[in-house]
Amino acid sequence: MEDVQVVAMLVRRCIAGDAAAWEEIVQTYNRRIYNICYRFAGSADDAQDLTQEVFIKMYRTLSSYDHAKGAFVTWVTTITRNLLVDHFRKTKQDRLTDSMDTAASDHEDVQPLSEQIPDHSAPPDAQVRSREVGETVHAALAKLSPELREAVILRDLQDMDYREIATVLKVPEGTVKSRINRGRAELARLLQRTYRQVM
Amino acid sequence: MPDHTSNGMQCNEFELLLSDALDGVLSGSGLDRFQAHSKTCKVCGPLLAEAEAGRNWLKGLTEVEPPASLVNNILASTTGVDTQRLRATVRSPQPRISWWEHEQASLLEPIWATVRQPRFAMSFGMAFFALSVALTVAGVKPADLRQISLRPSAIRHTYYATQARVVHYYENVRIVYEVESRVREIKRNVAPAEPGPRQSRPAIQKDKNDTTQQPEQKQERNYSQTDNHLILASAPLGTSVIDWSNPDPSNPDLPVVSVTTYRRFV
Repeated sequence: MEDVQVVAMLVRRCIAGDAAAWEEIVQTYNRRIYNICYRFAGSADDAQDLTQEVFIKMYRTLSSYDHAKGAFVTWVTTITRNLLVDHFRKTKQDRLTDSMDTAASDHEDVQPLSEQIPDHSAPPDAQVRSREVGETVHAALAKLSPELREAVILRDLQDMDYREIATVLKVPEGTVKSRINRGRAELARLLQRTYRQVM
Repeated sequence: MPDHTSNGMQCNEFELLLSDALDGVLSGSGLDRFQAHSKTCKVCGPLLAEAEAGRNWLKGLTEVEPPASLVNNILASTTGVDTQRLRATVRSPQPRISWWEHEQASLLEPIWATVRQPRFAMSFGMAFFALSVALTVAGVKPADLRQISLRPSAIRHTYYATQARVVHYYENVRIVYEVESRVREIKRNVAPAEPGPRQSRPAIQKDKNDTTQQPEQKQERNYSQTDNHLILASAPLGTSVIDWSNPDPSNPDLPVVSVTTYRRFV
């Protein structure tokens, strides 16, 4: 959990033109923002571009952050989420032609999802197997609707509490919980279906 | 989700408690009712299993490592400063400056940055050049400024002298003079001719009889030609002559002065 006073001081230094303070913010939050973008967009290239856009927007609007209204991480995540929604709307047409056999991302092997299922007849190394499972889940996550995807990413990957997620998504806590439950269940169904096809 | 009641709990309530149950924060009678409902409800039981499985899948995902160039790219696109340079700047000790120096730098630096631009220098140079040319034309010399008197009467005198100088200069400009004379000529040609004096009619008649086919000379030219003809106006000597210098003609003792004047017809 971030120290509110430390972050507030860091933000004030940034606004005053302290480049070192800004670099500290970038170093602290770039990993988190990149992961949110990567899990939501599904592509490493898109994630990199989106992360840069998030920081550019943060840099321009840093003076609008009010620590009395909420935690800095919530503010940062809200900016990220808004940009991701914009990105999703822009690329909606491109995704209409996608199928489950589309390669998920640059971090994974360039193989369709059906070929990414681990081969049980020849047990691979545990590390490789873990990586492959991760890639499969990532591909399935990309198939969730954006509302369910963003909810489970913020909850299960970023460990945000329901109130913070409700603030970021601008929906009631009950809706957040419902979306998380439905997102988890949908993901499990997608993965079961995929495994069943391979088996 | 159907609103089915089982073990004293509705399915909607079950869904609301599902997250808390998976997070392990549900306890006591609430947990007992929740578990009992999940075992008997055909919809909520599978939902709990799927949600738990999905949660476990997601928890198995590890964080991905951002590209090494990401931070550099972000800093370059925001502050425009490369990280290596930034770090070098951070490491080097910053000299302590007072708040007055800081304020001075923040106020004067933008102005100085503007002044240093070549465009500004060029504009300033042009303005200075234009001003110096204007002062030279107006006859203002910087050396004279020291001797300028600031008394109201002196200022007024300077004003009228300058105005007279400017008017004189303007009227002596050849093109102005020519334009004015042309305008005057045009006005005269356009205006209806005024009837001349009776004495001049025979002369005009005489001119009309002239067969040299020369264009008729204009009146003003004739007048100008007579400028050099001096007409001697003299009074004959004698008592009958009115002596204007002597207001009393009955007094012949006064000396009679012969006055000769050179008059010019204008």
